[in-house]
Amino acid sequence: MKLRRTFAATAAAALGATILAACGGGGGGTDTNSSGDTESAKGGTLTVLQHFPFESTDPQRIYYGVELSWFRRLLYRGLVAFPMDDSNEVVPDLATDTGTSSEGGKVWSFTLKDGVKWEDGSDITCEDVQYGTSRVFANDLIIGGPNYTLSYLSSLDYPGPYKATAKQQAAFDKAVSCSSDNKTITFHFDKPWADFPLAAASLMMTDPYKKSFDQGDKSKFKVLSNGPYKVEGGTWSKNKGATLVRNDEYDPSTDEPDKLRLALPDTIDYQIDPSDTAGELFNDRLIANAPADQTAITTARVAPSQFPKITGSVEDRYQNPESPYNDYLVPNFNRLKDVNVRQALAAALPLNDYVKALGGDRSATASETIVNPALDFPDNPAFADDADNDGDPDAAKALLEKAGVQTPYPIKLGYSKSPTMDKAMAVIKEGWDKAGFDVTLAPLTDTYYDVISKPDDDYDVTWAGWGADWPSAMTVLPPLFDGRPNISSTTCGNDYGCYDSDAFNKLVDQAAEATDVDEQKSILEDADKQLGEDVAYIPLEITKFNWLYGSKVTGFTTTAASSSYPEIGLIGVQQ
Amino acid sequence: MWAYAVRRAAIGVVLLVAVALVTFVLFFATAANPARLACGKNCSQQQIKVTEKALGYDQPLYVQFGTFMKGLVVGREFPADKEVRERNPELVTDCGPPCLGYSVNVGTTVNSLIVQAAPTTISLAVVALVMWLIGGVLFGILAAVYKGSFIDRGVVGLTLIAYAFPTFFIAVFFLKYVVIKWEILPYPGYVTIADGGVFTWFENLLLPSFTLALVFMAGYVRMTRAFVLESLGEDYIRTAKSKGLRTRPVLFKHALRAALTPLVTMAGLDFATLLGGAIITESVFAYPGLGLLTVQSSSSFDLPTIVGVVLVAAFFVIVLNILVDISYAFIDPRVRLG
Repeated sequence: MKLRRTFAATAAAALGATILAACGGGGGGTDTNSSGDTESAKGGTLTVLQHFPFESTDPQRIYYGVELSWFRRLLYRGLVAFPMDDSNEVVPDLATDTGTSSEGGKVWSFTLKDGVKWEDGSDITCEDVQYGTSRVFANDLIIGGPNYTLSYLSSLDYPGPYKATAKQQAAFDKAVSCSSDNKTITFHFDKPWADFPLAAASLMMTDPYKKSFDQGDKSKFKVLSNGPYKVEGGTWSKNKGATLVRNDEYDPSTDEPDKLRLALPDTIDYQIDPSDTAGELFNDRLIANAPADQTAITTARVAPSQFPKITGSVEDRYQNPESPYNDYLVPNFNRLKDVNVRQALAAALPLNDYVKALGGDRSATASETIVNPALDFPDNPAFADDADNDGDPDAAKALLEKAGVQTPYPIKLGYSKSPTMDKAMAVIKEGWDKAGFDVTLAPLTDTYYDVISKPDDDYDVTWAGWGADWPSAMTVLPPLFDGRPNISSTTCGNDYGCYDSDAFNKLVDQAAEATDVDEQKSILEDADKQLGEDVAYIPLEITKFNWLYGSKVTGFTTTAASSSYPEIGLIGVQQ
Repeated sequence: MWAYAVRRAAIGVVLLVAVALVTFVLFFATAANPARLACGKNCSQQQIKVTEKALGYDQPLYVQFGTFMKGLVVGREFPADKEVRERNPELVTDCGPPCLGYSVNVGTTVNSLIVQAAPTTISLAVVALVMWLIGGVLFGILAAVYKGSFIDRGVVGLTLIAYAFPTFFIAVFFLKYVVIKWEILPYPGYVTIADGGVFTWFENLLLPSFTLALVFMAGYVRMTRAFVLESLGEDYIRTAKSKGLRTRPVLFKHALRAALTPLVTMAGLDFATLLGGAIITESVFAYPGLGLLTVQSSSSFDLPTIVGVVLVAAFFVIVLNILVDISYAFIDPRVRLG
């Protein structure tokens, strides 16, 4: 997330902020996230003011949350999709149903609807879905997108469609097979994938891709749409955006427009301004509400310095939902080996004051778990049971005494530097210092995640952020705390604290083998409890989004499906 | 003269190679793992290794540098994997010499990125250069001629104010007030002459160029004032005046010509620096020039693009340095190149 991706992805996601990762989100409740004016208005031009460039518009490379959710509504239909609400229940999109599973969740089948077409008029076939799925395996060419399918088809020695031998391609085509009528695709995974439809709806790694359109890296910004809009000229400009116009080959009768995409505006004008100041200036424009900006929405959050301007009629055009992103602190298990010391850090954390330092209720909500509330996951008892969130220095001192360590106990706290984070981390330092620690703040810049993932770094505690890729804690807890895929001699990967627990890993394995989502969730709740007991993380806050929009925008809503960004499938403009 | 130019050009080539090498070394000295950044959010260590290989970062530094230098001379083809190229000719991107590499982040050659970005930067730099030269020299002369007067103090005072505010601040101020609040000018966005005509092109360049020109102009006012005053105190000026020459010819024909030499040097170097990308101005106004390309490639650790932009910037500086040196001989006959 944070606008810097650069991955972008990871860094972005974690930098607290803006874009990455997929679903999740929502928060705040559906009823609080809709604009007063929900009257549908068909026609006109919606302007999208975007303050960062997309890394690609190739479906198999897209990983930004807002891009995934918006392009799903506008350009790229999937086998299944999330409806425009907070339900987290998938509905059929290109497929006739939400998938049929067998063999305990290892095999999934989807049949394509009749009449679904690409913008060039050709039918979308099973082979297109098969080819799109295969491209993800070419991770020497199709770089940067989500690649969960690789781990679920890990028995294949398949290098992707560009380099595969006939034998390798045949093995893949058997594992991801098409029926003789070229309508039904069947995925034969190596292990159960209980929530596969959720993954297919959130991400685009199993979206169709037309082979004859593929030029590998050269297709990075080319768009062949199958949704209600198409890119004028066919090519997206990374730093300028594009104009989206109606796709004449899109047939609403093959869709469920009320659930998935109303497609109200005739034209959507994406204006990209990839400058550091663009976000604030976009919101200045929306506050001013000049005629040209009255039909505009933006990807940029209102800056805390602009909060005082959100009054009167401007406030009517403002929404403040919880984001899909959580921030947390990570104790370094190579340095803080005594659980009492880690518990003391958690006990002394002045979370309420920290949230105030971030900007208060409009910027963040204190969290009792690392899993976002949009995933309908319980608080972690290790952090929720104590908790007025004011920090308890006496309890922390007792824990340090129990640990038998000398006080003040030195702590080096690493975080990603920004003026706001400087203030927030100073609050944590003050709280911890009162509890018998001696905290040294260590702000870091661009290479933050590479630095803190090194196993031999000297940070005792580091800040991090994360968002789920689809509404399941499977995309939160294992990626962040399963040491096996993360830890090597040179890095701890996303497991920044180098946490490696047999008990936790065993629960992760059980969750991965689960044949249904409820069973999996129950196991993951136990896994989260284990993390809490070990203090593998200390939850901080759920980031909140702040959205403004023009006065002639209708149906402005944020949903879990839109990653708490504006739900573009519902938005229209008054003429 | 020619021997001098050839000698300087040869030194320039050596400097460019050195600049490229230093950029490579500095890039790999950072803690960042570009393969990890490119690979995506949830890559396993094995996948990061594959990405590292695909981007060529698994090779020793000298091999990567050698490949880059070879590409400059003979060109390259992408993807780097020969097997992929042979089996999928539709994927191949040909990058002729001097090939600066391939940006995986954007999916095209660095050459084409630079070709796309350069007109924006050149437009910005040229308009800004004209603005600051005209404004700087005129106000500088004015301050010198009226030395000690209210005009002099006013002009010098204004230059101090312009100096005091960083470009970033001035740019944001213009956008917040001139564009958004007062609505005097439309929100600027780069439009080519081919797309919008000369007027639209210039209208959109007005604010960014003026922002860029303002700080330079302040410097040029003070320099011009100082150089003109120095020239006016020379013996030959006193002689000209004592012979009854009028003020205007003395000022423009004799004093200003002598004062121009150091100004030309400054203008040449400043212009050359700008051609490498006006990083802050382009970033604030989101002008897709070499400056913005530099920022974006740096933040995404896109080595080929970083090296390409740095080389182009260095090229401009070196070439204009040589041209400035040569131009001395024409401006000031006392200078002889040897």
